[in-house]
Amino acid sequence: MKILVCIKQVPDMESKFKLNSEGNWYDNSDLAWRMNEYDEYAVEQAVQLKTQVDEADLTVLSIGPDRVKEMMKKALAMGCDRGAHISDDDSFKKDPYEIASIIAAFAKDKEFDLIFTGMQSQDRGSGQVGVLVAETLGIPSITTIVDFAFAAGQITAKRELEGGIKALIKTTAPALLTCQLGLNTPRYPTLPNIMKAKKKELLSIPVAELHKVASKQETARMYFPEKRGGGLVLEGAVGNLADQLIKILKDKTGVLA
Amino acid sequence: MEFTREIYWNVGSSVGVLIPMYLLTLTAFAVLCYGFWQRVKVYRLGQELNRTDQLDRRIIDTVRSILLQSKLLRVAGPGWTHAFFFWGFLLLFIGTCLIVVQADFTDPLFDIKFLTGTFYKLFSITLDIAGLVAIVMLAGLFIRRYIVRPEGLENTKDDLLMHGLLFAILVTGFVIEGARMAVTELGTPLAIWSPVGLVFAKAMAALDHEALRSLHKTTWWLHLLLVIGFIISIPFSKFRHIFTTSANYLFADRGPKGNMVTLDLEDEAAESFGTAHLTDLSWKDIFDADACTVCKRCQDRCPAYATDKPLSPMKVVNQIGEVAFTSPEANLIETVSTDVLWACTTCRACQEICPASIEHVNKILDMRRNLVLMEGEFPGEEVMTAVNQVEVNGNPLGIGYATRGDWAAELGVKLLSEDPDVDILYFVGCYASFDKRNQAIAKAFIKLCMAAGVKVGILGKEEKCCGEPVRKMGNEYLYQSVAAENIALIKQYRVKQIVTTCPHCFNTLAKDYRDLDFDTPVEHYTVFLEKLLGEGRLKFTPGEAISCTYHDSCYLGRYNDIYEAPRALLAAAGIKLNEMIKSRAESFCCGAGGGRIMAEEKLGSRISETRVKMAAETDASTLISSCPFCLTMFEDGVKGAELEGQLTPKDITEILVERLEA
Amino acid sequence: MKTLLVAEYRDGKLLNSSYELVAFAQQLGAESAMFLVGAESVLPAYNGTLYLADVGKYGEYNPAVHKQLLLDVIAKEQPDMVVFSHSSYGWDLAPRIALALNAAQISEVVDIIDGVPVAPACNSKLRRDVKAKTEQIILTLQGGAFGLEGAPNGTPTVVPIDTDVAAQVEFCGYEEAEAGGVDLSRAEVIVSAGRGIGKPENLAIIEALAKALKGEYGASRPVVDSEWADHSRQVGTTGQTVSPKLYIACGISGAIQHLAGMKKSEFVVAINTDKDAPIGEVADVLIVADLKEFVPSLTAKIQAL
Repeated sequence: MKILVCIKQVPDMESKFKLNSEGNWYDNSDLAWRMNEYDEYAVEQAVQLKTQVDEADLTVLSIGPDRVKEMMKKALAMGCDRGAHISDDDSFKKDPYEIASIIAAFAKDKEFDLIFTGMQSQDRGSGQVGVLVAETLGIPSITTIVDFAFAAGQITAKRELEGGIKALIKTTAPALLTCQLGLNTPRYPTLPNIMKAKKKELLSIPVAELHKVASKQETARMYFPEKRGGGLVLEGAVGNLADQLIKILKDKTGVLA
Repeated sequence: MEFTREIYWNVGSSVGVLIPMYLLTLTAFAVLCYGFWQRVKVYRLGQELNRTDQLDRRIIDTVRSILLQSKLLRVAGPGWTHAFFFWGFLLLFIGTCLIVVQADFTDPLFDIKFLTGTFYKLFSITLDIAGLVAIVMLAGLFIRRYIVRPEGLENTKDDLLMHGLLFAILVTGFVIEGARMAVTELGTPLAIWSPVGLVFAKAMAALDHEALRSLHKTTWWLHLLLVIGFIISIPFSKFRHIFTTSANYLFADRGPKGNMVTLDLEDEAAESFGTAHLTDLSWKDIFDADACTVCKRCQDRCPAYATDKPLSPMKVVNQIGEVAFTSPEANLIETVSTDVLWACTTCRACQEICPASIEHVNKILDMRRNLVLMEGEFPGEEVMTAVNQVEVNGNPLGIGYATRGDWAAELGVKLLSEDPDVDILYFVGCYASFDKRNQAIAKAFIKLCMAAGVKVGILGKEEKCCGEPVRKMGNEYLYQSVAAENIALIKQYRVKQIVTTCPHCFNTLAKDYRDLDFDTPVEHYTVFLEKLLGEGRLKFTPGEAISCTYHDSCYLGRYNDIYEAPRALLAAAGIKLNEMIKSRAESFCCGAGGGRIMAEEKLGSRISETRVKMAAETDASTLISSCPFCLTMFEDGVKGAELEGQLTPKDITEILVERLEA
Repeated sequence: MKTLLVAEYRDGKLLNSSYELVAFAQQLGAESAMFLVGAESVLPAYNGTLYLADVGKYGEYNPAVHKQLLLDVIAKEQPDMVVFSHSSYGWDLAPRIALALNAAQISEVVDIIDGVPVAPACNSKLRRDVKAKTEQIILTLQGGAFGLEGAPNGTPTVVPIDTDVAAQVEFCGYEEAEAGGVDLSRAEVIVSAGRGIGKPENLAIIEALAKALKGEYGASRPVVDSEWADHSRQVGTTGQTVSPKLYIACGISGAIQHLAGMKKSEFVVAINTDKDAPIGEVADVLIVADLKEFVPSLTAKIQAL
């Protein structure tokens, strides 16, 4: 069985964001990088599946500059067998369609039985790449899964819907799944696995070999949002704050009437 | 008249007596040796560890600790009782040896008798009183154990055997003496040199000599058999502590206090890290279990035990012993249980008080290492998140690393990247860098340094967590990687002196980093400021009198024996302290050590609340500490214990800065 | 400008979010038609053409089939924009359509300024203006970003649609959220607890304030995930979307899932120690204070009124 898991390196969302000089993306300085949260669930699910079935080969793929290899090593330490690093210093400029086409070009002739991705990235958050890859490859895809089971080529997954309801979906491999928070708790890599990961295959492929399409959209401008309604900020002693707030609530809402 | 007595009186020193006596004695010693040999084989299952370096110092300290019973005397009641019993019994043992030497060696071989004259009188009265003291102390110990019975003291068959056997040996000793004196010494001037024997003799005076002789002979043999029984039972009962505890003084950890083995993580041959099985332990860890007398002093001081968590350091040590001697294949972590292992705050109260020099903390930490490094297990998801955050942002709080130095901007503190020529590097630590409450301490410290004309620099966003919380949670790998980054950075700036406000950073940089090729001097701010005070560079004006108590942080106190510097600083600022019932080496942890600052306290009651209640009992309105973790715990603790408004947690720096001489 | 609005139907009901699509089209001043895999019995209150496929026949979740049904309508209508909700249905189906049409898809649109869609980035800490390079574009709209003025009304002109394409997946039904909950969507006042409450015991002070304001208490996802509060209390995209008169967020930093679930609140008060927390972005008043001190004080003062 061949499994592919696609991961993205994103800034830690607690980072101090600044804008780049072109004003169309965030600046790379002062950012702490980590694996996209949803992709961690994807890696964990892929590793669990690998452990469950015999003779599985699990490839982890990521697109980005050299720094993403650090994160890929974590995925290898979690249990992926080999890494495919699509080397691209300008990956942040590529739209979901381009990213998906790169992944699809990589996966095209490799006959993966299952592909896992995160449901979205934490930085761009478009939530498109997984489905686009599946559609390009012509395989079924189930998004936002919070539960996954695999037996004899049959996939049973639960999708998370609004309001906490889950939809039970079945399909057959090959298929692609996008993973949501709640699917699992990603493991913490053990030291022997961290050491083993250092020796695992981690191939770098120049993005030009796989990038054959043009973008369909671009981020024209990135900026910090304005605060709604002036966003009155109150600071000071607790007792005073409470009095101020009560006055505001009386003036502006009907709830204390 | 000659002051002496006939040895082997009434029993006779015929071959019929000597041969069975010596045969029995030799057999007893042979069994004793066999018994210990069986145990030595088990100790040897452990890993190698050199505990015979500085042998001369070790021997001197061991002899001193045994003879003075100094480690026991740290707890007065049972300590003195045991000490007097020990001294009494030791004298009796020495006395018996002297008799053997004279009766069976010097007298028959060289015709030399030294148990005569004044020496005999002193010998006689000393042994008599020693015996009495031993009996009285034994009775005291018996009452404590079986009648008063303090909480947590568990009685086993061994305890009953020990009390019974010792009592029987002592009493039969006096019966023998009494019977002999009733026949030979009553009415002689010698009798008063055996006052206790005299009482026994008078009590038996009504019996005729024949009966006395018969009683004497029977009791003599009984006494001998009891002693033989005692010798034989040593390796097979808690009596073994006579040897094992003493030997443990010899093999004691000689510091630096709290030192953990810095694992070689690149070791290709290593298949496992940390402790999961008996064979992962060192021989000393197994030996510790045999040195334990189950005195429960560790348990009495354990903050986890005191707040109804499943951990008792004594039980952990005993469980290792059980596994070692009954099921050496068993999984230690399963035997001890993960809840127990995660509950430890590494406060070191157990280890400091242990009268047997047992090392509790590292056993627990080594098992944590196995859980984290081999299983990827943590006490909870919140800890895993915090550990991940140390990896990503260099702090367990998960705040963007780039803002680490922001607190200092308004004070004009130099970053070493701008100007490395400073008097000291202030290693700020995560809490003082990011936590609003603790930033006040960082700022106060800077103001104090400025007042003393000390040029301070910080690393700002280049600084990372010192690694202490993750190391104590078992993640040696992450610890070593953040430590290496900090070390490389500090070396690059050629720092001459480091000062920390956090005792955890202090202990880690000053001691743990030494294994990683780092030798820059490190001081905690209390020591550093006390020096400035001594040099006259800092002056305080005593402000209004406030009632204060001071909490000794574990990593400043027990780990580094810094008890006076904080108090001296406070005294200089005119603060008088009401000490808590538990202070200095007996201080009660705030609950945050051992990486527990990152963990939710899910079991039992809150350690911090227990501690703030102790502070409130002193009627103090201010609870002063010198550790950001303690302060954080107390800020929560006063809320939980509903002491808000009554008790205000503060750091020493905050008190000092308010009282700086203008 | 012509838009095709992809309405949603679930478990016998038309989802209210469908009307946000109508609001979006109105705001744009665009013509619209609507697509729905639903039932004749629950038609949307909408004046316009409704392309209706029978949910009984095509299922509630059946991407390959819904894709074909929708593509057939698009071929007929030739819209400039195909508009979805950014929902479990929308984000699943939209990329399939985008790829088939070779169109750009812009996800989670919160606004359109001068014709340029605006989308959030980095947990709403940033925004970006996104320019599509294709003629047709696909949009998914963030829940609550576009609201209909007044009650929806109208009657659609129903055009039944069919396809015979094969399904790729099998939808086997729903698993309900854990029951025993409270209906936050009806509450006039909601006081919500985030991870900033620190420990489960502190939920009591949140509950007390909610009680004093005659409202309900809610919780953010992390609080529910930690099992400090029941799932039925969860506000956000994976919990309930709420629209009270007053929403007080206590110790909630404002993860996007949460913001999306409470944005429709008429008045938002946030209590947070971090002035820069994203919740400030949607708050009318941000109180910078430790909620453990502030909330009990506020509760006491309200009770004293």
